[in-house]
Amino acid sequence: MSISDDMKKITKSEKETFKLGQKLARRLAGGEVIALIGDLGAGKTIFIKGLAKGLGIKQMITSPSFVIMKVYKVKSREIKYLCHIDAYRLTNGQELIDIGINDWLGGKGIVTVIEWADRVKKILPKKRIKIKIDFGKKENERRIKIKHYDANLRI
Amino acid sequence: MLILGIETSCDETAAAVLEIIPTSSRTHDEIGGNSKLEILSNVVSSQIKIHQKYKGIVPEVAARAHFEKILPVLLASLATPARFAGASARRECSAKASLASPNETFARRRDSLDKDQGKTPAVKKMKEIDLIAVTYGPGLVTSLLVGLEAAKTLSYIFKKPLIPVNHLEGHIYANWLTTVALPNIFPSVCLIVSGGHTELLLMKDYGRYQRLGGTRDDAAGECFDKVAKLLNLGYPGGPAIEDCASKFKIPSGSDPTGRRQNSKFKINLPRPMIWSHDFDFSFSGLKTAVLYKTRTSKINKGFVKALACETQESIVDVLITKTIKAVKRFNAKSVILSGGVAANQRLRDQMKKEAEKIGKIFLVPSKNFCTDNAAMIAMAGYFNYCLLNTKQKNKLLYNWQKIEVDSNVNLR
Repeated sequence: MSISDDMKKITKSEKETFKLGQKLARRLAGGEVIALIGDLGAGKTIFIKGLAKGLGIKQMITSPSFVIMKVYKVKSREIKYLCHIDAYRLTNGQELIDIGINDWLGGKGIVTVIEWADRVKKILPKKRIKIKIDFGKKENERRIKIKHYDANLRI
Repeated sequence: MLILGIETSCDETAAAVLEIIPTSSRTHDEIGGNSKLEILSNVVSSQIKIHQKYKGIVPEVAARAHFEKILPVLLASLATPARFAGASARRECSAKASLASPNETFARRRDSLDKDQGKTPAVKKMKEIDLIAVTYGPGLVTSLLVGLEAAKTLSYIFKKPLIPVNHLEGHIYANWLTTVALPNIFPSVCLIVSGGHTELLLMKDYGRYQRLGGTRDDAAGECFDKVAKLLNLGYPGGPAIEDCASKFKIPSGSDPTGRRQNSKFKINLPRPMIWSHDFDFSFSGLKTAVLYKTRTSKINKGFVKALACETQESIVDVLITKTIKAVKRFNAKSVILSGGVAANQRLRDQMKKEAEKIGKIFLVPSKNFCTDNAAMIAMAGYFNYCLLNTKQKNKLLYNWQKIEVDSNVNLR
């Protein structure tokens, strides 16, 4: 399994979605903004759990729907923090700015993941990695599209 | 002792005044022993109506609403003439009735302050307060800030000791609002279930906690909310699903164990992690399972009722199984249920049944104290205050300089 810059991937189980997240984590260097798009139950949380594991985070990743934003420390040379944001209950990006998201977004050594990113598109930087999770034909199947902002760069 | 509690961690702006009169000298072992408790006022102003529009809580809206309401709510909690009018007049103050429009009240307060500073009833009452307790986390940062800043200001101006309270601890102490002195209940297993939390704790003594487990993804209340959204039942999801589930007629002659069978629709939702060897929960998968059901079946009213009922059964089953397992493992003497989801009647009934089956004391606050309120914060503040020594108590006077909001704080 390799991840190229504009990739389509079909996962057949939660486990595979988790592993894809884990795989992506190893290609990150810090400063990335990952926009995650998908319906309720698509597997966004699972993907982020995989990503967090890939970054070496041992803490439990729980849904930030209630507090909007959770920050986890990462022990690696380049990446210092994983910032997990959930825009599920938001209506526009201004609300994220109001809770201080600009301190984190795209910062050096910070990986930011935003669930329900389609709701706050306007405030996201153009340089972002877009990940769209759709339901597949079968019950546990998911179609995952990963689009990197820089077409020349391989993740 | 008069305690003012302030709570703004999520979508309720709340203030309350408690009076606790200890009748015996307090030692560490008998905190609250024989104390007399009066809830002089308990004002809760909810933003549910505002948030219903967005099917959830919107932080900016929440903060703005808190800001508009914090002064009227504080005034209402202080203005109750209960303390001066004698015991007969002491009763709970209903917030909805007594709240004037925020701007009007604010203007009136400003005028009255200008005219005769320090002579308004609220200011007089404020001078009598002995302790201010305020929620500092966990919750929404912007919401928490409003209550905390208000409390700090009051502490500074009136030179009152200020004690920070963990919101989760507040939920636990809601159980002490009916009677201050609870007999011999420790160690106790506490289940806190709300829209933002699902935590299982072992409470060894007043102020001593051990975290046993919690949710790995969504909170139980969040699951209620999201399933309600999938089924188009409205917000908040807990009461909506409970209401819908209660309309589901249990086929007669069903399962002898008393479990409601969805025989007609043959719905069997998973019970996530029910037999796992830890004390963690997971509700994200349950939501996905409901989603699949709505995709594969024809949706009509009966089906939605059956699905709502089965969702509730699943959540309740998992919560109870894990709690009872913890009670047995740690040989606890009691079970404490609290948090917004504890208002769910099915959960209350079943948990009581299961706890009493194995001979344990079962505690749950009355429904109005399950959801966020400031009386519970004042109560937790009181108990934490009692645990301090004189030197620590004196330091509380300078807490207004130090306390900061912590949105992800854990209970230890």
